Amino acid sequence: MKIAGNIPIREVEERYINIQPIQAAGRLTAEAMKALIVYGDGYSTCDQCRKPFRLDKITKPPIAEFHNDLAWFLGMDEARVTPGARRAFQAVCLALVNKGDTVLVSALGHYTEFLAVENARATVREVPANEANIIMGDAVAQKIEEVTRENGHPPALVMLDHFDYSLANEHDIVGAAKAAHQYDVPLLYNGAYTVGIKPVNGKALGADFVVGSGHKSMASPAPSGVLATTSEYADTVFSTTQMIGDLTGRQFGVKEVQMLGCTLMGGNILAMMASFPTVKRRVKEWDEYVTKSNHVVDTLLGIKGNTCVSEYPRKHTLSKVDTTGSFDTVARTHKRRGFFFSDELKQRGIVGAFAGATRAWKFNTYGLSWDQTRYVADAFQEIAGKYGLL
Amino acid sequence: MDDAVDYVFEALFALSDLRVLLRETVPLHKFNEQQLSQAREALARAKNALEQLDEELQK
Repeated sequence: MKIAGNIPIREVEERYINIQPIQAAGRLTAEAMKALIVYGDGYSTCDQCRKPFRLDKITKPPIAEFHNDLAWFLGMDEARVTPGARRAFQAVCLALVNKGDTVLVSALGHYTEFLAVENARATVREVPANEANIIMGDAVAQKIEEVTRENGHPPALVMLDHFDYSLANEHDIVGAAKAAHQYDVPLLYNGAYTVGIKPVNGKALGADFVVGSGHKSMASPAPSGVLATTSEYADTVFSTTQMIGDLTGRQFGVKEVQMLGCTLMGGNILAMMASFPTVKRRVKEWDEYVTKSNHVVDTLLGIKGNTCVSEYPRKHTLSKVDTTGSFDTVARTHKRRGFFFSDELKQRGIVGAFAGATRAWKFNTYGLSWDQTRYVADAFQEIAGKYGLL
Repeated sequence: MDDAVDYVFEALFALSDLRVLLRETVPLHKFNEQQLSQAREALARAKNALEQLDEELQK
């Protein structure tokens, strides 16, 4: 079955348990699928766009209400949807950071944070993680002092992931925010791996900006994301255009510069909205998902030679493990080399582990039922048993 | 034919509900009683919408 003759049907989610590290929490809800069916046309949000002609002001469908709900959900004052978390980083950097400024990011920070800083013609400085691969508030304070000594002024911004993409370790957001605020530096909370799956209250954490990813953690299509902020920074990051056309004298009053006007103008925002009731509900189930994650990791650690590279016990559903001492010993002599492992998983209806990887690899158990969680854990054990690793 | 549009969406929505049930039960697709009941209800909605759509097309 093909779409338009050459686009294959994607049936990964319908046929397999998918433990791919970044796909788990972006899977759509049924309601989001319906929204995509109905609102897939290009400018579908614009049927009833009335003055002042801006996406976040549209009331039919209730996009304005959704923006208010998003801000409330994140414990902030104002929110906008963005085409992914990366565009939110970019918006904040372009609004707050000047050419030649310094921005602190985590040594485990995502590459798009680097790009956002570079886009603002500024420079990143990385805050080192401690021996446990955790970014602590005191390390942020030290780095701010270091940068201030060198530059004569503090960094323009601190960006910190609550849980990083690499190990999904939890970092000291509260400590970092306190440190940043002591030097009057705003803090951007990168919630790409939290917003939509665990409760997040930006103000309670001390964040000046909260960024989330719709396609990573809010059961939404790509690209989609959210940028929320406090009333203190809203006018800066959501500043409206002052530009006047020199020939025509045209002005575009309420259009927000960093947003480049309207952002998600079709099915993406409606799908995000359609998933939102589920998202609000599911964040309350986070602890249960972490328990399931630990069940799978514990099973892997029960296989001789395995270690957990991420902090342990797990506080997240995304984990990095090292199986050099177990599955990789099989790969060394197996005719399929490292692919034997993904082959074995696929035969059991599990995909998403990086094909060919048998040393350090990541997986994500988010969204699995207990039956599926046990099934995955049992599959790891079965494969280990088959190759004499138990 | 005005109602045809509603029947098309109703059928697509019902099938979307079924699709998600398939996702929730991978890889074995063994439905528990509740899931079976939800699947039957969604299938009935889809069938009903398609039957009505068929009638609408014959008008």
